[in-house]
Amino acid sequence: MDRSDDVLVETRNLTRALGDGAAQQTILHDISLSFDRGQFVALTGASGSGKSTLLYLLGALDRQSGGEVWIEGVEMGALDDDDRAAFRNERLGFVFQFHFLLPEFSALENVIIPMMRRGNWSRSEAEDRGYEALRMLDLHELYFRKPGQLSGGQQQRVSIARAVANEPSLILADEPTGNLDSKNAEGVFQVFANLASEGRCTVVMVTHDADFARRANRQVRLKDGRVIEDSTQHGPTSVGRA
Amino acid sequence: MTPLATIKTISFIALRQLWERKLLNGIAVGGVTLGVLVLIAMNGIMLGFSDKFTSAILKISPHVILFDTELRPVSPLLERYMQTPVAAQIAHESPTDRQVRIKRPYEIVNALRQVPEVEAAAPSLAGMVLLEFGGKTKSVDLRGIEVAAQDLVTPIHQYVKSGRLRDLDTSHDSIALGAGIAQDLGLKVGDSVRAAAPGGKPLDLLVVAIFEAEVPPIDKTRGYTTLRTAQTLLGRPDAIGRIEIRLWDPADAIRVNDSLERMFGYDGESWKETNANFLAIFAMQDMIVGFVVGAILLVGGFGILAIQIMIVLQKQRDIAILRSVGLRRSDILRIFLMQGVIISLVGGLLGDGLGKVAIYYLGQLPVKAEGLVKTDTFLVKEDPAFYVYGIGFALLVGVIASLIPAYRGSRVEPVEVLRGQIG
Ligand SMILES: Nc1ncnc2c1ncn2[C@@H]1O[C@H](COP(=O)(O)OP(=O)(O)OP(=O)(O)O)[C@@H](O)[C@H]1O
Ligand SMILES: [Mg+2]
Repeated sequence: MDRSDDVLVETRNLTRALGDGAAQQTILHDISLSFDRGQFVALTGASGSGKSTLLYLLGALDRQSGGEVWIEGVEMGALDDDDRAAFRNERLGFVFQFHFLLPEFSALENVIIPMMRRGNWSRSEAEDRGYEALRMLDLHELYFRKPGQLSGGQQQRVSIARAVANEPSLILADEPTGNLDSKNAEGVFQVFANLASEGRCTVVMVTHDADFARRANRQVRLKDGRVIEDSTQHGPTSVGRA
Repeated sequence: MTPLATIKTISFIALRQLWERKLLNGIAVGGVTLGVLVLIAMNGIMLGFSDKFTSAILKISPHVILFDTELRPVSPLLERYMQTPVAAQIAHESPTDRQVRIKRPYEIVNALRQVPEVEAAAPSLAGMVLLEFGGKTKSVDLRGIEVAAQDLVTPIHQYVKSGRLRDLDTSHDSIALGAGIAQDLGLKVGDSVRAAAPGGKPLDLLVVAIFEAEVPPIDKTRGYTTLRTAQTLLGRPDAIGRIEIRLWDPADAIRVNDSLERMFGYDGESWKETNANFLAIFAMQDMIVGFVVGAILLVGGFGILAIQIMIVLQKQRDIAILRSVGLRRSDILRIFLMQGVIISLVGGLLGDGLGKVAIYYLGQLPVKAEGLVKTDTFLVKEDPAFYVYGIGFALLVGVIASLIPAYRGSRVEPVEVLRGQIG
């Protein structure tokens, strides 16, 4: 399977230390991973093993202490603050562990703010796309509601819609199903699985759900900041390149 | 990456966040409004008063007066040569033994009329006389004038309430009196009043006109006769004691006065020097108003600062979201700056509007005053510049006040916020 041109994300000896001086603590040790375009990766590991930290580094939100993060041929550590923001805006979609929405804006507005900033689409085009993304998550009927008028699970799905609506090449999701009931969790899993299988993007999803982890294309398990397991598998989602 | 998209996104976010915090931001707006309102009202009052005063002065006072005191460049020279003032003291004549008058006054008047800054010039003689009527006496600041020429310098005829100023020329030994004097002595046009001054010849004068300039210090003390009558009364035949001058632009007075002094060698005085005490008070009042308005705007600025700092601290999470979905640091900075500008702009506009209303109602306020100037209402004057200053200062305060919160907001590190939430 020599598909080096299909590699979307690659980390080389990625290291992250936090704190300084005597209190310094290495949270990620020499992580070298590569994810292909269209891959659906489950990131697992015990609490405190460094999953979120790795996700922030893959998402150009945090800066590594050592090593490199390449996404679509760009090394994140070499970009300045504005370029990283632009990169996040155009190529990445985030879903955070705790649904993060702007309370003053409706569901639809939350979804379209990244698209507005990007400026590729007119306001009405962006709204159409946002509405479609909400429909995919079965929230289109509530598009006008503010986060305060939505349940926790609904808010989480709005933040997923925001992450996918901008057509990112990489979606980074930190326990997106953590607060959802099994039916909604399954729905979210399916959305990611479909996006990945259609080859539209690569999904890296942190999950504590063993079932989801097993059903992803690949499972990467962390322990104390090191990769202790990396298994490619065939879940219900086909890898999509047969 | 089009700048327009950036501006649209930023203003979308900035406006919505402002709107959703109506109470807090309303308080911030209120602070600015108050500052601008006070700025306009105070300046209106100050300008109203100083303007009224200035126009009262200029109504009936000349812009520059040349007196009969000769400037003597010789004395300082002598003084300098002797290295001591003693010699100058010896050379100094005592005032009594020299004829105090302007020499060849009509040549000077004619020359003055050729000076480009000068609108009109008129020779006159001033002195104190005692008026006596019906057992009452009153001392009067008498001016002997050439009626037509003087009226071009200080338009007295405009303020004549009864009688006619020109009758001074036609009827012999006549006088025009300020309304205050006429009232005190119970005089009417047509009455005859006894006038006398030390060293002069007493005369019975016919009251031909009564004027009221609504400048109490003048209305209560001033009387006009012809030059000849005054010369007789004061016992100074043919003497011209002063030349009064009107300029095209009263603001030039100090400069023109200096050059006239040099040109003619007589001591001159501009209206600004004559009224230096009052003008100094106005300058001081302006300064005090400046301090008060500055302080209130400062407080308004601190209002914006405090509220925005609070919002920035509360909204760390929101800033982290915006940054993580791709807004730049500069976008965050601009969102808060824009909010500061909008707060101050709204505050400034409201302040301008309320200021206009305040000026209107202050101007209607009945106040009876008869001191330096006479008025029935509160003295206010509007100047369009107030409103420009109002908005200008509001914006300045708003931008400066929101710089710190905006900078803080732009320094928020999304990961730190995200970690904080998780930890
Ligand atoms: N600000 C910090 N300073 C020092 N250490 C930190 C800081 N934030 C997190 N850590 C440590 O970094 C390690 C990795 O944290 P991280 O949040 O990546 O774990 P995680 O795998 O996402 O855990 P969870 O499943 O609970 O979300 C943990 O041991 C944590 O204690
Ligand atoms: Mg985590």
